[in-house]
Amino acid sequence: METFILIGITGIGLGALYFLVASGLSLIYGLMGVLNFAHGSFLTVGAFVGFWVASKMGFETTIPEFLLAMIIGGLAAGLFALLIEQLLITRLYERHIDQALVTVGVSLVVGAVLGGWFGNDLRMFPTPMWFLTAIDIGGAQIPADRVIYISTAILLLIGNWALLKFTRIGLIIRAGVENRHMVDALGINVRKAFSTVFFLGGFAAGVGGVLVSVYSNGVSPLIAGSYLIYGFIVVVIGGMGSVPGSFLAAMLIGIIKQFANYYATGLGDFVVVILLAVVLLIRPQGLLGKVRA
Amino acid sequence: MSALTVKNLHVKIGESHILHGVTFDVPAHKVTALLGRNGVGKSTTLKSIMGLYQGTGSIELDGLQILGTPTYKIAQAGVAYVPEDREIFSTLSVRENLTLASRNKNNGDAYKNIFELFPELDTRAAQLAGSLSGGQQQMVAIARALLNENEILLVDEPTKGLAPKLVTEVANALVKVAHKTTMLLVEQNLALVKRIAENVIVMDQGRVVFQGGPENLNDPAWVHQMLGVSGGHK
Amino acid sequence: MLRWKYSRPLLGVVMALLALAPILGDNPLSRPGLQQTMAVAFIWGGLALTYDLLFGFTGLLSFGHALYFATGVYVTCILINHEVVSWWLASLIAIAVSALLALLVGAASLRTTGITFAMVTLAFGEAGHVILERNFFNLTGGENGIALNANLIPQFWISVVNTKYIYWTALAAMALTYAVIWWVTESSAGRVFAALRDNELRVQVLGLNTQRFKLLAFVISAALAALLGDVMLLAAGSAAPRFADAGVTISLLLMVVLGGAVTRWGAVIGGIIYSVATTRMQDLTQQEFFKTIPKLIGGPIAEPAFVLGLLFIFVVMFAPGGLSGAYYKLRLRAITKKSQ
Repeated sequence: METFILIGITGIGLGALYFLVASGLSLIYGLMGVLNFAHGSFLTVGAFVGFWVASKMGFETTIPEFLLAMIIGGLAAGLFALLIEQLLITRLYERHIDQALVTVGVSLVVGAVLGGWFGNDLRMFPTPMWFLTAIDIGGAQIPADRVIYISTAILLLIGNWALLKFTRIGLIIRAGVENRHMVDALGINVRKAFSTVFFLGGFAAGVGGVLVSVYSNGVSPLIAGSYLIYGFIVVVIGGMGSVPGSFLAAMLIGIIKQFANYYATGLGDFVVVILLAVVLLIRPQGLLGKVRA
Repeated sequence: MSALTVKNLHVKIGESHILHGVTFDVPAHKVTALLGRNGVGKSTTLKSIMGLYQGTGSIELDGLQILGTPTYKIAQAGVAYVPEDREIFSTLSVRENLTLASRNKNNGDAYKNIFELFPELDTRAAQLAGSLSGGQQQMVAIARALLNENEILLVDEPTKGLAPKLVTEVANALVKVAHKTTMLLVEQNLALVKRIAENVIVMDQGRVVFQGGPENLNDPAWVHQMLGVSGGHK
Repeated sequence: MLRWKYSRPLLGVVMALLALAPILGDNPLSRPGLQQTMAVAFIWGGLALTYDLLFGFTGLLSFGHALYFATGVYVTCILINHEVVSWWLASLIAIAVSALLALLVGAASLRTTGITFAMVTLAFGEAGHVILERNFFNLTGGENGIALNANLIPQFWISVVNTKYIYWTALAAMALTYAVIWWVTESSAGRVFAALRDNELRVQVLGLNTQRFKLLAFVISAALAALLGDVMLLAAGSAAPRFADAGVTISLLLMVVLGGAVTRWGAVIGGIIYSVATTRMQDLTQQEFFKTIPKLIGGPIAEPAFVLGLLFIFVVMFAPGGLSGAYYKLRLRAITKKSQ
């Protein structure tokens, strides 16, 4: 039983990480139609900036210090995302394939720059000692860092919900996901909503990058790749443009992967792909997605 | 005195040349009907005024050139658009659809007017717009255009696809609205047009073929020739 | 006529020169070093063309194309090493396996379109990559791949002296790929592919089963990719998981965009230039003078992805037709000037 709980909760922890990556991807695609391959770069930028901030505080950080580094990493990634959006994406308005291609270019450049400056080896992220302790849940010993991942993901989900439901920009985003031209025709500059979404997506990815580095025992430009792929899988299964869908799908995938890997190492990746194929055959728009016109 | 002047408007969609030098005036404070058979370019004209299609020529709103301006700025300049397929946001509530459209903070009066015209929108304020009937959705589409100070209302086939009872309701609402504003109305329903149009423009194959008063609408032969339908009923 | 009237003869001359160079006295191509580089470049050129069939012609943005290339490499290698069949038969089987795999994956993936399709193919490609890396059934050799047992293939491909045979094989494979794709795109099926790229709805309205045509393009390009994989096995001497990396497909995308997605020869040129450039750049970073450049600039430049990524961004933003697109623009300008 304890093993079951352990695998389940670590699965949710992993799902939380996937959600942090996927939520931004989902909104960016849902609202703007942009397939953002540079999202992995946002992860990496967030991780490196967060790492730099944290390392200034010593080999080991307290929890508030860690959270500060994480948020600063997120902000840096968000600003970087905004920069990319303003410089490149807006100039390719409505040219969706070209926008996707340009983000591929960005991911290559960022990976090369960071790899060139810092090398590709893993560097330990300074974390609070508390992360290494174990919390007893139902007899299972859960590593404490999982708690941080899950709480952050839940906070993001709630924050996202609140933003969409209660703010004007949230209203604009919700309407824009459905029909961006009509929003324009109502006298609203929908491009401001685009920039907001890109920034928020970058922020979430940056925060995710910091946490992923902790989870992977090190910061490196190479880690973002597989998380980006899983991010895409989560978005497809959850439904494009649906953040709650991404949450659901991320949790599902995290748990399934952990269980599969328990039975045979490496089986997890394989099972997730089968799941993807099954979802596509039965319900191509994803769990909570709408059929996009 | 013209609220809107269109001169020599040419619009291409992809490779197809849809509008060939469209020229007309929309007089202020009057209702102008834009008529023609299906496919002659009426909706395209409205969309081009809104900036949703690009073209060459001239479109002047109260003397101000708006051709080439981004759509949202055109709307902010006072051009309200009620599109052919309503295009309300189905995942938003009725109230949200309205607040989204509202550009001022202090328009309690405007809301009052709308709920007077369409009391159902008040009672159904929290309902998801996607679950409304076609007629109710049309009311939302018209209401949100009325929330702001407008120079001109572009209305595209508001009674299309509606049951006769709803056609009457929408028609009555438009009649009430017509007195207060400038309107450019595309409509196939001749009875409605006869009720409110003070000015008529007819298009054929991407060009304007008639501009003038509404008197000819009572002449079945003229109607048949210009619009290809038997004049009088429906 | 947009095509320059001398372009076809010129192509013939170039191909003849390329074919004869290794035995035409002392020129750069008579040395094994450049022969090896060019052999690899030809393989990439052909591979880029197979990707062009998918993306440039049919409008299918696949991110899992490398899988079929790698399948060609691995299946051939495994069959030979275990002495199951001869090299020729092993290659054919590999191509068949790859085509079958493409049929299955395509049938599932093509239920989606556009961007979702891209993501799905990415997922399948990565799954394949992972399988190869993890040494399933102890067949695939794990991270280091499998070395080809040189004793079990026809001897004329072995040893440095015989590099020119690999060169010729690669050149022949590229030419064959080009011929097949030329034939396919000029055929009536090919016209459907192009129509699919432009407007799928219109094709459906014509009563054609768009799914089947897309699947056809998918399978053909996979089969040809496997053929090139067979040749790559010879050139590289081993099968390695890096052949299935998503990065490979991304490189193909780069090659096609840089060369110009609209034409066939654009993709081939893009592939060749990309391959030669990356090899040369790696040599460049080994030079002494390079070590004196400050790390701030030198670090990124040493990574091929940096320059290529920047180039890619530049082409997409400002020159979307790539090299061939630019060429045809100039050509059009020249022709219209002549007719004035």
